Amino acid sequence: MTDPSTLSSSFRDPAGFLFRRGGVLYRQVNPVHQEHYDALFDSGLYDELTRLGLLVPHEEVAAASFGTEDAYKVIKPEVVDFISYPYEWSFGQLKDAALATLRIQKVALDKGMSLRDASAYNIQFHRGRPVLIDTLSFEVLQEGEPWVAYRQFCQHFLAPIALMAYRDVRLGLLSRNHIDGVPLDLAARMLPLRTRFRIPLLLHVFLHARSQKKHSHTGGGSESTKKPARNRPFTLQAFKGLIDSLYRAVDKMELGRADSHWVDYYAEAAHYSSEATDHKQELVASLIEQAAPQTVWDLGANTGLFSRIAAAQGVKTIAFEMDPACVEESYRRVKADKEENVLPLVCDLTNPSPGLGWANEERMTLQERGPADLLLALALIHHLAIANNVPLTKIADYFASLGSRLIIEFVPKSDEKVRHLLSSREDVFPDYTRDGFERAFKESFETERVEEIKGSERVLYLMRVR
Amino acid sequence: MKDTKSRIFTVGILVLAFWGTVLPVANAYIDAGSGSYIIQMVVGGALAVGLGIRVFWQKIVSLFTGRSRTVEGEEQQSPPK
Repeated sequence: MTDPSTLSSSFRDPAGFLFRRGGVLYRQVNPVHQEHYDALFDSGLYDELTRLGLLVPHEEVAAASFGTEDAYKVIKPEVVDFISYPYEWSFGQLKDAALATLRIQKVALDKGMSLRDASAYNIQFHRGRPVLIDTLSFEVLQEGEPWVAYRQFCQHFLAPIALMAYRDVRLGLLSRNHIDGVPLDLAARMLPLRTRFRIPLLLHVFLHARSQKKHSHTGGGSESTKKPARNRPFTLQAFKGLIDSLYRAVDKMELGRADSHWVDYYAEAAHYSSEATDHKQELVASLIEQAAPQTVWDLGANTGLFSRIAAAQGVKTIAFEMDPACVEESYRRVKADKEENVLPLVCDLTNPSPGLGWANEERMTLQERGPADLLLALALIHHLAIANNVPLTKIADYFASLGSRLIIEFVPKSDEKVRHLLSSREDVFPDYTRDGFERAFKESFETERVEEIKGSERVLYLMRVR
Repeated sequence: MKDTKSRIFTVGILVLAFWGTVLPVANAYIDAGSGSYIIQMVVGGALAVGLGIRVFWQKIVSLFTGRSRTVEGEEQQSPPK
């Protein structure tokens, strides 16, 4: 018998837990969940959801060899390349994750089952599409009972989507503070007046928040709470009406075009001649080919121009960008072109995703999800070093912890973009020179190749971590 | 007649909207589960009727257009290749 260690992301669930053995991810099904796990297959729900690409497929392995003594089953799920979190998603990604959750629930209802939780953390982007990764999220439908995951759905999805659509797209980051979703009373206070006249939001956010407040001391399982269910059961038609109402509420919310100057960064590209742009793209393609990575993290990816050069070589590429509008634009392209190798995510490198939840262990830091085989840091160094005052040695140290190799572009002070950054502040960066950059990075990296970009003073380096 | 119904509907929504949004100050440590349970029981009937009407309407429309459409009007996720 083994003693598998539970992954810190799944210790709350009595139905089972995730663990790694020999670097492989497994999920144990506990006896308490046996009836529901069996029903997932007997009802045909597993086959239907995996056929639709809405549930990550798995294979069963010998429970006695892999699980604890009382394990009912042990399954080996298909591996999702990169675990991302709702506070790293763009508006469109969060919306698609919400719609996927509701589609899953609709299929489940037709099969006599229901989602017992609707956590946004149970959805991951796998090959460009949102997919449920928690196979143990299903239970046999309890007749007459409303949706047990309703509150969680509204807090994890509906409230942040509404705040992003109607107030400010940056409010997606609220989910980073509220690990169990945005409290509905908080969302109700922040949403603009006009949203009170949208019936689905009125019901599922405003009146829902009021009901939560009014019945806050009733107790979830008390007789007074259960009574209405016995007198007047929550019919299947009401359940479907609820899911339909939530679906339409989410589906109708759209993001206006964000006011972002970064979205047009490459289109404008006044800082590059077309010769330099073309040459840079050729060089980056050649350097990626030389590095031959399996995974690339493009740091400061903008709308993902260079991420897609890596993806075109069949490399799984994460395109990190701090501007939600750029990430949204990039995700729209992922959907339009059915791209499977690019995952755009919102990430401010000067304040990357921290460890969150119990003991700061339930959600991983950015660093814990690495290292990537190759980092791209193109047209980024001056933003970190000059706009954000991060010393070059600190940048080198952090990059060395994120990836095994690095393609980095040095942008000298004579470059138009750096001149612009320095135009409104004192130049207190005497070490920000090509020599200073090479000295700073020498501690953590050894240089494998250096290429000057034609038609500019910028230089590309391919480096390997020492 | 139509105007009167429309006005009653609008006033009803307005009353609900303001009743629903003038929230008392919330504090932490509340049990949000009961309220979420009860609001579903309260609105479930209306949502069931609403869905029934929409399904019926879609069937009528499809009789004339010859096109069947999902009630949700959703983009169906096609199976992955």
